[in-house]
Amino acid sequence: MSGAFKHLPIMMITLPMLGAALMPFVSYLRREAVPWVSALFLVVSGVLGLLLAGRIPPDGCVGYRLGGWEPPFGIELKVDFAGYFLMMVVCGISLLALLYSRLYIIREVEGGKITAYYVLFLLLSASMMGFVVTGDIFNLFVFMEILAISSYALVAVTGNRNAVRAAFKYLLMGAPSSIMVLLGIGLLYSATGTLNMADLAARVGETGYREVLIASFAVLVLAFMVKAAIFPLHLWLPDAHSIAPSPMSAMLSGLVVAVSAFAIARIAFSVFTVHSWGVVGTTLDALAAAGAAAVLFGGIMAIYQRDFKMMIAYSTISHMGYIVLGFTALNPEGLTGAVYHVLDHGIAKACLFLCAGNFIYRKGYRRIDQLKGAWREMPWTCFAFALAAWSVIGLPPSAGFISKWYLVYGNVKADRVPYAVVLLIGAILAAVYCFRIIYYMFFQPGEEGAWRDQVMDAPAGMLAPTWALSLATLFFGVFSYLFLDSLLKAAASLLA
Amino acid sequence: MKRLVSLLFIGALALLLLYVVSRMPPMGEPDNPTATRVVPRYLEKAEDETHTPNVVTGIILNYRGFDTMGEVTVIYCALAAVLAVLGRERRGRIRDYVELSGLPSSVIVRTMVALVVPFILLFSLYTIFHGETSPGGGFQGGAVIGASMIIFTTIYGLHLSSVKVPQRFRSPLEGSAVITFFLVGVLGFFGGGNFLTYAWPRVSEGLHPALVTWLTVLVEVGIGLGGAMVLISILFAMVREEGADEPLA
Repeated sequence: MSGAFKHLPIMMITLPMLGAALMPFVSYLRREAVPWVSALFLVVSGVLGLLLAGRIPPDGCVGYRLGGWEPPFGIELKVDFAGYFLMMVVCGISLLALLYSRLYIIREVEGGKITAYYVLFLLLSASMMGFVVTGDIFNLFVFMEILAISSYALVAVTGNRNAVRAAFKYLLMGAPSSIMVLLGIGLLYSATGTLNMADLAARVGETGYREVLIASFAVLVLAFMVKAAIFPLHLWLPDAHSIAPSPMSAMLSGLVVAVSAFAIARIAFSVFTVHSWGVVGTTLDALAAAGAAAVLFGGIMAIYQRDFKMMIAYSTISHMGYIVLGFTALNPEGLTGAVYHVLDHGIAKACLFLCAGNFIYRKGYRRIDQLKGAWREMPWTCFAFALAAWSVIGLPPSAGFISKWYLVYGNVKADRVPYAVVLLIGAILAAVYCFRIIYYMFFQPGEEGAWRDQVMDAPAGMLAPTWALSLATLFFGVFSYLFLDSLLKAAASLLA
Repeated sequence: MKRLVSLLFIGALALLLLYVVSRMPPMGEPDNPTATRVVPRYLEKAEDETHTPNVVTGIILNYRGFDTMGEVTVIYCALAAVLAVLGRERRGRIRDYVELSGLPSSVIVRTMVALVVPFILLFSLYTIFHGETSPGGGFQGGAVIGASMIIFTTIYGLHLSSVKVPQRFRSPLEGSAVITFFLVGVLGFFGGGNFLTYAWPRVSEGLHPALVTWLTVLVEVGIGLGGAMVLISILFAMVREEGADEPLA
């Protein structure tokens, strides 16, 4: 990649950061402009990303040396196809959630805090984009800090007692995990003397300090398990994700946890090369067991929820298990499934939360049994929900089907038939909790006076992002062949 | 029971980590990985390559400048987080705890603060501008400015300090650390380098030494100014919160 194009990834990351930095001033001049200017920065970022399409070789990666310093001495971005793909996913979903926020957030957040909401929103998107493509492990930590701090604050932004409590719980689990990431990086640095991922991968095999490296890997995996809410360490997620404002729930559930789960894969494959080493494999086996437990636990808990957003949050726990089971299969198919699952889970989960937001915006309903007969008054939201739920279950032709197919295939190929069965059971559980709501919405008579007979759906500014996401689940299902070959190659080169 | 289990778990974890510490490279040995891989180049060449006599500044603003850009973003993010939870102070006349408590501080304290604050500010400017040659820099200087405003606000009250540093002055400057980093970073493209190369205008035989130094100082100033404004805005938001329960006339 030559010419000005090599600068595109860094511009994609830093432009939303610049936007966030300018936002207090924009707000001082004209508060109504803040949502539009924020959206503009993400749009520019996305357009720069589209210009990159076809310029990232699927079986390699494009390095970008910040400040022009060669790798072990300076920081390097390593944009491989998987990273680029996730960057675009982050950018797209963030943009839609941001546009949705404009109308929704006025109801839940008081006027003076709206600018801070958009600042944090832009910082969250920028940090996730940096997080997935950085080639330096300390830089990963820096982006993780931005990601974590903005997430805590965005959970608490509504300012009511429950939101603050949920955010505090999130902070109490998140802050130690951030420290553990730093501890893991410190141990790694003490044993190798370098922070660059490629350089680490070369030196991890030859250094003599095995115990230190093992401890470092274990600590890093544990820390990112908290961030990704993987089963025994998921306790913060249901409260935080269900109480946050809906577009924020969409970001947290759709992107933040999934990107953190991908970080485990990045560390396992780009820093500790799996094949050279037995113990790393053992840790990954333990992680896979946790992932399988997460699939079942999240699915079963989701069935028992009475709060709509709580149910979606538990479904997220289940789906983080899917991603973990995907990349721990240690073959290209499983990893491709995991990366594609970040995409389709992100889209579908964001769409579900935006639908929940529509119900809350119009009616203030949060309980599942209040949704009986919702079809009569809010048909568009109900149909969008049904489409997204289709993808969450993983039925063809949605994108969820594609990723689950690869996840199951990868696990069967790795001789992990029990895990493949767990994945299928997870899909059945998803069908139970999704079809229950679809049944309530479309086929149950509502309570007297709960819904009007006349169509009064959410405003177009909120329906458009919701529908864009629900149609995207179909698009990425039907046109998945456009991406899968490149993703398979990228996954193979990541594992090599 | 729950406590006992937690205690046992933490104890086991501590033992495990202590074992790992015992297996770490011995402290201070010259052939440790930490002393042999990247550090020698930083120590030997930093002054020539980054044109800043202070090696630490050379590392954080040049070799690993992007990390520092991330860190200033973290500081800025902290401000946004505080404002998202507490809200910004209202514009216009603010009634704060000094007025509400009705307890004016003594003349001696007020005079001392008025005398000391200018010197603190002067010192902070020294710290910022001299950060590329001696210990210090934008982060420290900004923190000192913030501290001076904390002293001033505690004694003179929120109203007077928000007149001295009004919101229309702070709001464009809060993000100045990130903005300066971005602008200096993009300047690198025009010099034919990468983001944060400190290379503009293009010089045929490489980077222009004086220019690199000046751009480094510029970034320090941005960090100092931004950090100071962030601290002051956080202070104002928190002070207002303290008086918020009181009835406002």
